[in-house]
Amino acid sequence: MKIVVGIKQVPETDSVKIDPNTNNLVRSGIQGIINPFDKNAIEAALQLRDQAGGEVILLSMGPDSYTTSLRDGMAMGADRAVLVSSRAFGGADTLATGYTLAKAIEAIGDVDLVLFGRQSVDADTGQVGPIVAEFLQFPQVTFAETLELDSEKTLVAKRQLDSAVQDIKLTLPAVVTVRKELNTPRYETPVNIKESFEKPITIWTEADLNLDLAKIGQAGSPTKVTKVYAPTKDVKKTVTLSPDPAQAVSELLSQLD
Amino acid sequence: MSITNDQTKMLIQMIKEFTANELAPIDMQIDRAGDYPDGLFQKVVNTGLLGITLPREYGGAAFDYQAAAESLEKMATGNASMAVTLEGHFKTIEQFIKYGNKSLNDEYLPSAAKRIFAFSMTEPSGGSNPKGIATRAIKQGDNWVITGDKIMITNGGLAEVYCVLAKTEDDQMAVFVVDKDMPGFKFGKREDFIGLKGVPVGEVVLNHVVVPDNHLLGRIGQGLEIGDNAHADARVLMGAVLAGIMEHELQTAVNYSKERKAMDTPLYQLQVTQEKIADIAIAKENTTALYQKGADNKVANKPYAEVAAMAKSYGSRSAVASGDKALQILGGYGYSHEYPVEHLIRDARAMELAEGTIEKMNLEITNAEIAK
Repeated sequence: MKIVVGIKQVPETDSVKIDPNTNNLVRSGIQGIINPFDKNAIEAALQLRDQAGGEVILLSMGPDSYTTSLRDGMAMGADRAVLVSSRAFGGADTLATGYTLAKAIEAIGDVDLVLFGRQSVDADTGQVGPIVAEFLQFPQVTFAETLELDSEKTLVAKRQLDSAVQDIKLTLPAVVTVRKELNTPRYETPVNIKESFEKPITIWTEADLNLDLAKIGQAGSPTKVTKVYAPTKDVKKTVTLSPDPAQAVSELLSQLD
Repeated sequence: MSITNDQTKMLIQMIKEFTANELAPIDMQIDRAGDYPDGLFQKVVNTGLLGITLPREYGGAAFDYQAAAESLEKMATGNASMAVTLEGHFKTIEQFIKYGNKSLNDEYLPSAAKRIFAFSMTEPSGGSNPKGIATRAIKQGDNWVITGDKIMITNGGLAEVYCVLAKTEDDQMAVFVVDKDMPGFKFGKREDFIGLKGVPVGEVVLNHVVVPDNHLLGRIGQGLEIGDNAHADARVLMGAVLAGIMEHELQTAVNYSKERKAMDTPLYQLQVTQEKIADIAIAKENTTALYQKGADNKVANKPYAEVAAMAKSYGSRSAVASGDKALQILGGYGYSHEYPVEHLIRDARAMELAEGTIEKMNLEITNAEIAK
């Protein structure tokens, strides 16, 4: 089974800053980590590989610095990695990203399953997985809570909805996005960390993929971000209540009036 | 392939995650229960932590001693017991790598990422006088027959392979590798120590245990040298563990001093608190510098026994004293089982004794200085 896991590198810190000129997230100087939901996707892929054989290929789009997250994924046990990286891909929204990743998956060839985390923790859209599925014309299941091999060519996934649980059987090749409830990602191991530096990371630019250049990067992105800003924390008034409980209750009630 | 900073950085990050998720949350529980909970050691094995220093050809990751020591420092900030359990294993593996013959290493090291190896010198007659040991190895044909009693073995009972210091018939010292499944091998009692409560420290009784000739580690007559080398290797790692304990003490004291107020002033703003926090922080950094110098020298094939003794002598006294200072900052809570400080003092106190007492360290340091 040939499994591709799409991963995104996200800032480690919660205190993400926004460039006031470009309205984009400022990622420089912040340690990048694998998007936490993507680790669940990697874990699911490793379990399926361990069960059915085959290989797990990590796929990401971004600058060279994304190789650190690809190495982290390989240190969990993935076999190899592909990074789609070029200035031409810069400024891509979810549509252009999904298109580019779909083309990379076509270039990898003979892929049976594509896994994604349910969404990234920095942009939070949850759109890239479904968009990739549409471009590839693969069946898709989003927000999978369980994922099991049913036969050589079919998987069974469970989706938790607000008022129902869906059991879905899907025929491979397919795209699945996963929730964190699916599994507990394994730790990297010392041996796998060493091996992650011996496994290949293939870097592809737009020249390596059969792309319509109008559909990638800024040009291929219909989404226009007009403004991104950090919510301000506005503390209007602080009142310290008396340490005496009875007095504090009385003060609190007077504040509520 | 040489080890890069990026590889070590990934290892340390992974150790931090494992410690934060698996060890730190049960640090107090391990102290109270006096043992590791079921399944914890298996998680350590499954995560490949026993193989950090083991050569690649034997299924290990072959990280160097600097990386191993830093790993134990980070681990000890969450739980010192597990860091000491790994210290006992790593120092023993080092002796196989340095002194083991190929057939011995081929037989044993492939299992060293899955099971604990231990080094046993101390006997009821004493620990720091190895020449006085009573364990005997008698040559019989192609085998050695070993009889004796070894006590205070780090990981005794948990370990499955033991390097045993013994005397031959002509009173030469030698180290033999003994497997717990060999006939005549028996576990004795586990010590009821006051600190490092997770680490089993126990006794092994050898009653005419027959080992083949290739189970001799190094050569006949090399026993004391191997023992000294194992001590130096252990002391570097203990320095790292002590730096980790001091970081735990420091964080506990710092956090408390921010939250707790005296007359509306946070404790950390009081000079009496600042003096204690500064002392702990300085002692931690000094211990870190000492153990790292020991590890650097070992990796660079320079002498490191003296600085290793310094790391343990200074580190253990500092960690006990720092714990006392942290306790004082926490006041009554510091004296309570509710906070970790009291058990950190008990944990650190073990290392004023284990792998040679402070007095033994200071003797060795003085001898090294006199000889210069």
